[in-house]
Amino acid sequence: MSNAGSLDGVRVIDFTQGLCGPFCTMQLGDAGAEVIKVEPPAGDFARRMGPPFVRDESAVFLSLNRNKKSVVLDLESSSGREAAAQLARDADVLVEDFAPAAVEKFGLGYAQLQGANQKLVYCSITPFGEDGPLRDAPGSELVVQAMAEYTASLGRIGDPPVRVGADIASLNTGIFAAQAILAALFHRLRTGEGQRVAVSEFGSLLHLRGIMWSSLSNPDDWYGFHLDHYTKPPDYGYQAKNGPLYFILRRGSSEDWDRLVMELGMEEVLADSRFADYGRAATSIGRYATEVKPIWEKAFENRTREEIIDLIKGIGGDAVPIMDYPSLLAHPQVAALDIVAEIDHHTAGRFKTVRPVARFSETPDTIRLPPPTLGEHTEEILRAAGLYRNSDPKS
Amino acid sequence: VEISMAKILEGIRVFDLTIAAVGPWATKLLGALGADVIKVEAPGGDRLSHMVPPTIKGNSVLYISANHNKRMLELDLKREADRAIALKIIAKSDVFVQNMRPGAVERLGLGYDVVTKANPRMIYVAASAYGRNGPMAGEAGIDPTVQSFCGWCGITGPEHGRGEMFRHLAHLDLTTATTITRAVLQALIARERTGRGQLIEIEMLTAAMALQTTRLAEYFATGEQPAPLGSAASTTAPHQAFACEDRRYLAIGVERDEQWPGFCAALKLTDLISDPRFATNSLRVKHRAELIPILADRFKTKPAAWWAMRLSTERVPNGPLLTFEELRHHPQVLANGHIVEIDTPHWGRMHVDGLPWKFERTPAGPIRAGGKPGEHSAELLAELGIIDDRETGLTK
Repeated sequence: MSNAGSLDGVRVIDFTQGLCGPFCTMQLGDAGAEVIKVEPPAGDFARRMGPPFVRDESAVFLSLNRNKKSVVLDLESSSGREAAAQLARDADVLVEDFAPAAVEKFGLGYAQLQGANQKLVYCSITPFGEDGPLRDAPGSELVVQAMAEYTASLGRIGDPPVRVGADIASLNTGIFAAQAILAALFHRLRTGEGQRVAVSEFGSLLHLRGIMWSSLSNPDDWYGFHLDHYTKPPDYGYQAKNGPLYFILRRGSSEDWDRLVMELGMEEVLADSRFADYGRAATSIGRYATEVKPIWEKAFENRTREEIIDLIKGIGGDAVPIMDYPSLLAHPQVAALDIVAEIDHHTAGRFKTVRPVARFSETPDTIRLPPPTLGEHTEEILRAAGLYRNSDPKS
Repeated sequence: VEISMAKILEGIRVFDLTIAAVGPWATKLLGALGADVIKVEAPGGDRLSHMVPPTIKGNSVLYISANHNKRMLELDLKREADRAIALKIIAKSDVFVQNMRPGAVERLGLGYDVVTKANPRMIYVAASAYGRNGPMAGEAGIDPTVQSFCGWCGITGPEHGRGEMFRHLAHLDLTTATTITRAVLQALIARERTGRGQLIEIEMLTAAMALQTTRLAEYFATGEQPAPLGSAASTTAPHQAFACEDRRYLAIGVERDEQWPGFCAALKLTDLISDPRFATNSLRVKHRAELIPILADRFKTKPAAWWAMRLSTERVPNGPLLTFEELRHHPQVLANGHIVEIDTPHWGRMHVDGLPWKFERTPAGPIRAGGKPGEHSAELLAELGIIDDRETGLTK
């Protein structure tokens, strides 16, 4: 059995910068595609994100650009545009996130390339979508989160807004972009037809809140986390003596429930209707969870969270510590799943990152190349394309 | 562009043995791409997702929403006759998705070994919270427990304040779901070339950590826990929300150095352009404590609409904090179908998530509501040429 990746032999020309497009093309690279990252002479702007830098390389950039080759082309020059057009002619996939006006100017619009490469799968990524009044507006991670009302599920009413700490507008959209490209490649394999596909960050984040749009349509009652997260206070989990934990009771028997209550010295809740049905509605997403939280925390205050977690798991509940990065990365589960990969980089040295998520039994994702230094593969790629000029390697 | 009538996943059948949100949302997207998705449920349906509030006309919105673009089949897999029907459908399917606790599907006799023997071309997805190995193996996980475990609360919260959970408790479920969809598409491509199916394993924990890859990178580089920063970004500045004169907040984001002069011009703070403390992104990040108060004072002098206008003229990313009532009428949302209204068979007219992608030649969708558990049982079995020889009828 060969260990070839799913996309072996597929060539991707990647004109994207920042987080979203690079996360998309990194997934294609992990799957075995040859990804040619075309950068302007100043480089992808993510190379300047930070601190932190690892020996001059942005940690953020390193985390998004493995399995790629970097080619510097100046699209402001005609020779740069010619080289880009030729690379696009030989490609299977092109990914771009230019402002709509720039893409035509660079000669890299779909209509400009399609004639010479009918089988091309061409993916455009925009902040807000290709139609409507914001079709040309620039976006950013926070701007998209805020406009898609993600900040409404965090913080406290009246206080300054809080964003999701992870770069979700960018990275979740990168997953949808990879889906669109893969779907179009599948169609091409079956029919020989290429096509243009598009995703947007705003559309992606709004899609991922879909359960809520339906919840707001005509609910039987204003109750449930898809509705009351707007007005709930910040949720820190449950504080124990040495840190917070989170738990949910959704199974259980009368003996288990009695044991938990006795053990925690909470006998008074046996007469409290909010704790009926073995506490099911009194934790996690239960109807009374927020209002009875102080009762639980009172019972937890002299116990370590490890003791409480054992107790809750012992009666068939789910319980986990709320962890920060140091405790997460020290957790044996992360090691057991081999989630952290190490990559040797020419200048940054050995660095850690998150491995490709999906494990395929037949066509595994692999890490073959470290993130490239700026223009590291310009000569190799342009020479192979018959475009290399010794006098001006950045042509 | 010539529009092709064929759907991308035309002819691909999905045996959907999923529960809650992680599995269902993944197969819902395959359905939107044209696959024939058969959602298989025990009589009465999957208890967890049917319990989650809110409800519309008595049905959980989570269940309704996560099961668009499918047909519903009831099978009691604990009975031999029903399992035999399942195996007949499996023989005619291309993709099998399940997200039960490790071990549970094997107890139903539909583990990877059994299914791949019945159909070697099957792409079999086993999704779980924490995987098959390690001290957490076999434990169930739902969005808030994985949020707690995966470290993401520690980077979210008020500036240098207490880390908090994201109260829309579905984001990590759906992130895992979309990763499953991506992996299935990848395996379908591989199958066109190799002729063989395969096993795909995906854990919520790994998907949740991959979603934080840029933030974990900061920790790997420094060995220090990144602090919550309110609305601010950690590695770009200025990139946060500012309170304006009318007490509205405006989100702004200067992610690229070329946006900085325009930002300063829009704020009429042109002295800052050449200020050596703020000349590059990394200098602005380093001198954040000096920069932000200058900007915060400035934003307080005029209403948000004024700054939004000036920043937009300079092509600097900016936007308000919108709410659903604004979003569902927003011309950008309507023009792109980011949120759409559909008619449903049981629940009236409903707002739903639009499709996350646009295909110019092979349009995806349309989005159709699914149904109640078992609603399409008779139709499906007749279509598949399977005679229902169980003692009791399917519909009752």
